[in-house]
Amino acid sequence: MTQPLISVQDLKVHFPIRGGILGRVSDHVRAVDGVSFDLMPGKTVAIVGESGSGKSTTGYAVMGMQDPTGGRILIDGKDRAAMSRTERMETMRRLQIVFQDPASALNPRMSAADSIAEPLQIHRIGTTRDRRGRVAELLDLVGLPQSSAGKLPREFSGGQKQRIVIARALALDPQAIICDEAVSALDVSIQSQILNLLLELQSRLGLAYIFISHDLSVVRHIADDILVMQAGKVVEKGPTDSIFHAPQHSYTCQLLMAVPKL
Amino acid sequence: MTPVLSCTDLRIEIGGNPVVDGTSLSINAGETLALVGESGCGKSMTALGLIRLLPDAARQSGGQITLQGDRIDQLSERQMNRLRGDRLAMIFQEPVASLDPLMPVGRQIAEALSRDSTLSGAQVAAQVLDMLNRVGIDRPEVRARQYPFQLSGGMCQRVMIAMAMIRQPILLIADEPTTALDVTIQKQILQLMADLRRETGSAVLLITHDMGVVSESADRVAVMYAGRIVETGSVGQVFAGPRHPYTAMLLRTIPRLDGPRKVALPAIAGAVPDISDWPQGCRFHPRCPLATDRCRNEAPPLATVAPGHDTACWHHDRIASDLP
Repeated sequence: MTQPLISVQDLKVHFPIRGGILGRVSDHVRAVDGVSFDLMPGKTVAIVGESGSGKSTTGYAVMGMQDPTGGRILIDGKDRAAMSRTERMETMRRLQIVFQDPASALNPRMSAADSIAEPLQIHRIGTTRDRRGRVAELLDLVGLPQSSAGKLPREFSGGQKQRIVIARALALDPQAIICDEAVSALDVSIQSQILNLLLELQSRLGLAYIFISHDLSVVRHIADDILVMQAGKVVEKGPTDSIFHAPQHSYTCQLLMAVPKL
Repeated sequence: MTPVLSCTDLRIEIGGNPVVDGTSLSINAGETLALVGESGCGKSMTALGLIRLLPDAARQSGGQITLQGDRIDQLSERQMNRLRGDRLAMIFQEPVASLDPLMPVGRQIAEALSRDSTLSGAQVAAQVLDMLNRVGIDRPEVRARQYPFQLSGGMCQRVMIAMAMIRQPILLIADEPTTALDVTIQKQILQLMADLRRETGSAVLLITHDMGVVSESADRVAVMYAGRIVETGSVGQVFAGPRHPYTAMLLRTIPRLDGPRKVALPAIAGAVPDISDWPQGCRFHPRCPLATDRCRNEAPPLATVAPGHDTACWHHDRIASDLP
């Protein structure tokens, strides 16, 4: 059997609550409290739940943007906490994240080409000319015309901005992208364009996704496995079909029933 | 029957650009009309124009608005103020941002009653508690003394609804009332609005971009694109047999709970145009697979295709057969 690309084992992220004049830690917010799951290469795991359920915090911990309080995150079998600096840099290339609001994820004064090339620059990959070639390739890949290279974010629509963000995430040839509500802020007619792009990129490049969302119909469309989170804990997990056809936990049923029917 | 609210040929401009371009709507008592469209198509501007709360940059440049048969677009600001909060009420998307953070919520609801000088303090307090109870807030006497930050988003929206409904308005305008809320809370809030509408018989203008919300809670729907209404009809008619390509494609792009998984969804190419750059002719033509020369040159008027079902498309009879 192949090894999971990402294996999250009993992950805990607690935030201290300080109180009193001495600012002593009086309690903890258990934002993530014992979450475990595996992401196989080329697959999509969705994390669903309401605001405050800990789904984004889980994503941040996998990315290394948030230190876990407990548990382990294995990337290709290697514990993230035990990695050397070089290994951590290497891991950073392989995992990328795309956020909800593309407008605030792009520097308003950087051209699309500069934004997309920035990860290559940071990781010192290629010459200026190589990078220009790579940017052209990436623009093609996400369905933007070559003429967009020199344009500023304000010259693009919301959907096009999200394409730039995705191109930037792809610049380092990652194996997995964490999509944190990546289509939630987009108009409905644009949402399907971006979902199609994500699916196409997955089949062409063999990408794996951690897809964080509150929208169950979108999740059902894109995910292989689903994790349902409530108050920091996983209340149910399983293949998409079985979650939708035979939900076991009352909270999952509640979420499913709340989805407006078309 | 005189509609509760109607507007004909409403026009609103921002800096010379028409954001709302000849919109006509009417809402009957006890009815929920959903105004749907994507961001930037002019639906919120239409709502704000109807109750004359347009931002400074925008102005009404044409059209008539009538409330129970009386024109209100000519009223003075003072007369309008009396209507708002009494016969007309509005709730917004961000409940937390709509409430005063420095005032207990009970007092904010009581403000709506303050113009009625015949009520004693005790009567006002009793009405506020009764209203909080009706919108489903537990322990109203405790909650009334709390500040917005002490309540969840869903509870703040309940407070907004209590504030809007306490004078029993004949029309409630709800602008994306559940967009910022979780799905389970959304369901509760929509249910609450439906219950209150049944109890009071008021009309509701529901503004949303969510077709699911429309199908669950509206009687009629008006679809807006680039400042114009492109299709209106009963929810049943429009969802079962859309007669405008935009509506039809919008309905298809949404992933369904019973549809195939992991396949490409039908998508609408391109994006909603900017208001300074609205296309000639039918404004949807650059994104429309059925567009012909006529669409590029001549804007189609809203025409009736079935009783109560209007569409603005030259090719409305080709939707079912020819739309890819």
